[in-house]
Amino acid sequence: MSNIDSVLIIGGSGFLGLHLIQQFYDINPKPDIHIFDVRDLPEKLSKQFTFNVDDVKFHKGDLTSPNDMEDAIKESKANVVVHCASPMHGQNPNIYDIVNVKGTRNVIDMCKKCDVNVLVYTSSAGVIFNGQDVHNADETWPIPEVPMDAYNETKAIAEEMVLKANDPESGFYTVALRPAGIFGPGDRQLVPGLRQVAKLGQSKFQIGDNNNLFDWTYAGNVADAHVLAAHKLLDPKARSEVSGETFFITNDTPTYFWALARTVWKADGHVAKHVIVLKRPVAICAGYLSEWVSKLLGKEPGLTPFRVKIVCAYRYHNISKAKKLLGYTPRVGIEEGINKTLAWMDEDL
Amino acid sequence: MGKLLQLASHPVELKAALKLKFCRTPLFSIYDQSTSPYLLRCFELLNLTSRSFAAVIRELHPELRNVITLFYLILRALDTIEDDMSIEHDLKIDLLRHFHEKLLLNKWSFNGNAPDMKDRAVLTDFESILIEFHKLKPEYQDVIKEITDKMGNGMADYILDENYNLNGLQTVHDYDVYCHYVAGLVGDGLTRLIIIAKFANKSLYSNEQLFESMGLFLQKTNIIRDYNEDLADGRSFWPKEIWSQYVPQLKDFMKPEKEQLGLECINHLVLNALDHVIDVLTYLASVHEQSTFQFCAIPQVMAIATLALVFNNRDVLHGNVKIRKGTTCYLILNSRTLRGCVDIFDYYLRDIKSKLAVQDPNYLKLNIQISKIEQFMEEMYQDKLPPNVKPNETPIYLKVQERSKYDDELVPTQQEEEYKFNMVLSIIVSVLLGFYYIYTLHTA
Repeated sequence: MSNIDSVLIIGGSGFLGLHLIQQFYDINPKPDIHIFDVRDLPEKLSKQFTFNVDDVKFHKGDLTSPNDMEDAIKESKANVVVHCASPMHGQNPNIYDIVNVKGTRNVIDMCKKCDVNVLVYTSSAGVIFNGQDVHNADETWPIPEVPMDAYNETKAIAEEMVLKANDPESGFYTVALRPAGIFGPGDRQLVPGLRQVAKLGQSKFQIGDNNNLFDWTYAGNVADAHVLAAHKLLDPKARSEVSGETFFITNDTPTYFWALARTVWKADGHVAKHVIVLKRPVAICAGYLSEWVSKLLGKEPGLTPFRVKIVCAYRYHNISKAKKLLGYTPRVGIEEGINKTLAWMDEDL
Repeated sequence: MGKLLQLASHPVELKAALKLKFCRTPLFSIYDQSTSPYLLRCFELLNLTSRSFAAVIRELHPELRNVITLFYLILRALDTIEDDMSIEHDLKIDLLRHFHEKLLLNKWSFNGNAPDMKDRAVLTDFESILIEFHKLKPEYQDVIKEITDKMGNGMADYILDENYNLNGLQTVHDYDVYCHYVAGLVGDGLTRLIIIAKFANKSLYSNEQLFESMGLFLQKTNIIRDYNEDLADGRSFWPKEIWSQYVPQLKDFMKPEKEQLGLECINHLVLNALDHVIDVLTYLASVHEQSTFQFCAIPQVMAIATLALVFNNRDVLHGNVKIRKGTTCYLILNSRTLRGCVDIFDYYLRDIKSKLAVQDPNYLKLNIQISKIEQFMEEMYQDKLPPNVKPNETPIYLKVQERSKYDDELVPTQQEEEYKFNMVLSIIVSVLLGFYYIYTLHTA
């Protein structure tokens, strides 16, 4: 098996990026690690990370700029490129198009131009989600014709480009990983969002009947899957089964949405004595109302019909394929993951 | 009267009870073949020792009915020796260690039980059991002998184990081993009997964990439920590794101020028992012959119902809890298909989830365990796929497909029962309405 000599992590300063640095850092023999990002690496790292920032080479650049990208790839002499750059949810659709579609196009083109062997793309489990329940979905589930939103639509387009670029004849191997519900130290959405809800005293509300299973995935495990995928694509014996494929990546322990939320709240000392259950249809009506009122007041609505549908939907995935072909198993369990995340938040970085 | 009121306040169960009593025809009957007086005596003994179990055994396919009746009575005899504190120590050990050898004799019985020992008739009348036992096919006899040997020696080992007698079960592993001797072995024997009868695929015996779980799930449920009764009898089977996380002395849970900890400990034990559910469902999906399926399924659905009842239930600490008679009727009627069993498990798992408090130390672990079972149930049927997605042909999915064919054969029977029930109900209602009409005519 060939080693990972040098890896370039595009989007390496972000939430998942830091976890990727850590996982690549822990490989023996340790590869050269290069970061490409428009943002600098954080000045202070969480205690949850043990890598030495000085061992990581940083390349500042614009994802959509061919020159920036080419320079970084050439300087890094990377045989493996990991592309995990992606904007947060809830932004202008334009940004998604620029980063997810144009950016990914640029990454693929420059990888090919510079003879990179392996491209691992961080897609999203959301690509198959169209608002309908997702029960134990595997990779045979289709990408919906009508996408859920601009984020998922552009992720699906990018994923398809990456898979199409897979070209074993000229020695370029690609794979797309679809993590679901990433959380962990550095998380800006899931756990901090829940903490915010508790601070506002809203942890006593439950939307829906709490029978819907939901995947949460610890960021370190997602990063692990990237390392495994890179190794498989470099391995002449294993690569044919993996290249050009998609893989769902989860913690393999789907759980009821509110059970996870309450576990976070409990760890923070918020235990609601009485839970007020809003049934789904009631909550959707309330969502429309809240949206309307917020519009009048010019404020950001807390409850929206979209959010209600998200927390009431079944959304969990079957990761048999990743287990079998990548040899993936989640190393950090949900409970441990939540504790690590809260420990990070308490560092107040 | 109390029972009647209880039934009347649960109409679904009332309907089940009536249907079970009046509308259902048993699959097989003990009167469908010539029976010797000895065999009749065996059925009598069976009735004496376990009313509920007897009802299920009586309906078994003739190929297995006598086999399982005798298997049950022989183990009951062993139990009656072990339980009797009046039998002298050395004699008891000798009887337990060599009980399987008695099965080779033509005549043997035992009159040394205390006069008030429940079930002592099984031993005084053991000759009838032996006569019928020797009529069984040799393969069946061998299995029963082997299990009797293992169980008798296991019982003797526990009696001689000073640490166990003084301190009870220590680790969770000890708990599993104990349950293996009293219940796992029964699962072992029954599985082999079922396979000899060709009522399930041979492969069912190749995965030890499956039949072991069938026994352990039942046994652990009883052990959790019987906390109070067992302590009153001066014994206990809750493993120290678990209860010592909550209190220094097992009986402390009875103190009012420790009640909350007692609930958490019960829930912890339920979490441990839920470990077996996936195996139980897999096992059930592998049994094809209908009467055998019901025989296997009924105790399991009763166990999950009991587990939901004891979950977070303070009454367990202070007395006996039992599922309602009507619930039992409902479970017997609806566990005849695999789908029915899965629905019952699903129902009670949700019930457990709804009683689980956030404060419980195992809140997340219980949620994850229940989720895992739910995910497994969805894998069994895979009926929520979007169009154009084919089911994943995993081993359990294929097993369930196979079993579902037998489920389908039961549909007409169930429809007929429903029809009969509705007919009778409408006749009764019309008669009552008729009377009422006549009554109003007269008073008008």
